[in-house]
Amino acid sequence: MNPGTLDPGYVMAAIAVVGAVTWALRALPFVAAKWLRDHPILKRAQHLIPTAVLVSLLAHAASQGADTNPVSPFLDEAAAIALVAALQWTLRQPLLSIAAGTGLYVLLRAIQ
Amino acid sequence: MLAPVIPPRSPHAIRSLLPALTLSVPVALGYVPLGAVFGFVFVQAGADWWMPVLASLLVYAGAAQFMMVPLLVSGTPLGTLALAALAINFRHVFYGLALLHRQAKRPLARAYQSFTLTDETFAIVSTTDNHVSPNQLVAIGALNHLWWNLGTMLGVAAGVTLELNVAGLDFALTALFTVLLVEQLRTHGRYGMLALGLVAYTLARWWQPEHALLLSMLFTVTLGLAWPQAASRTRP
Repeated sequence: MNPGTLDPGYVMAAIAVVGAVTWALRALPFVAAKWLRDHPILKRAQHLIPTAVLVSLLAHAASQGADTNPVSPFLDEAAAIALVAALQWTLRQPLLSIAAGTGLYVLLRAIQ
Repeated sequence: MLAPVIPPRSPHAIRSLLPALTLSVPVALGYVPLGAVFGFVFVQAGADWWMPVLASLLVYAGAAQFMMVPLLVSGTPLGTLALAALAINFRHVFYGLALLHRQAKRPLARAYQSFTLTDETFAIVSTTDNHVSPNQLVAIGALNHLWWNLGTMLGVAAGVTLELNVAGLDFALTALFTVLLVEQLRTHGRYGMLALGLVAYTLARWWQPEHALLLSMLFTVTLGLAWPQAASRTRP
């Protein structure tokens, strides 16, 4: 398709709808805060949700990488994640861990 | 963009931006190229230059924005788009729950804070210590929003002329999740959650690959919240 072939009014409405749904989901707990704030379950949720969410996000991101990796899916991703985890566990330098892992991954994908 | 966040003539605001900037750099590594891909792909699909920019400004959700492109090209009804956005972004209802005690005070800043709760912003913000103030959390959200829009504009600009090849570069976000998870495990040692999450995601991906992320989070969070409660009841 050539640029400029989508109807502006339709696209604006779609952006408004998808944006509103997304914001509503993100804002819901904030709006409900006064009823939720003292609930004991939230004390645990504070520490538990980040770990639970991060595991799923990491597994999903790795899987999506693997889906676009025709030669050695999951192997390249696992190797790069292992490097990031090892570096972060020992040196605790986030930018170094991320740069080294991304570098290794780009390299692994490039030499295929 | 930072205007509602930072009160004028406040030296504290300037100082508080530095740690926020440091924390958001890894997100920039992922958001600029990924935002660029979005801008590029959307323009190639037939969008005017302002459409990807408006989407990144007002929707600000990676997966939902990419999902919109083919759906808009095929003229999908708005109701269907709303349902798709609900399914894709439903996981975000969990994010605010973990941040209830760290909301910004002023209503506008709080509204903007909730608006910017993407996966990556939540991952960073929820794993910071309590000494990082709510206003700094808002600044992190604003900076990430800025990187995403910067990337989108670059992608739009490149849309007509350049062929983008970022194969593997978006691994920066995978690496970011790894770093944050390692730090969470180091601090809270929830290895059970790690195992549970991996099993849940594997099963969800096998059963419903389209909704694997949502199902995996629903399952892990629900079971995780039920589990320690059951354990603590057995203690005197």
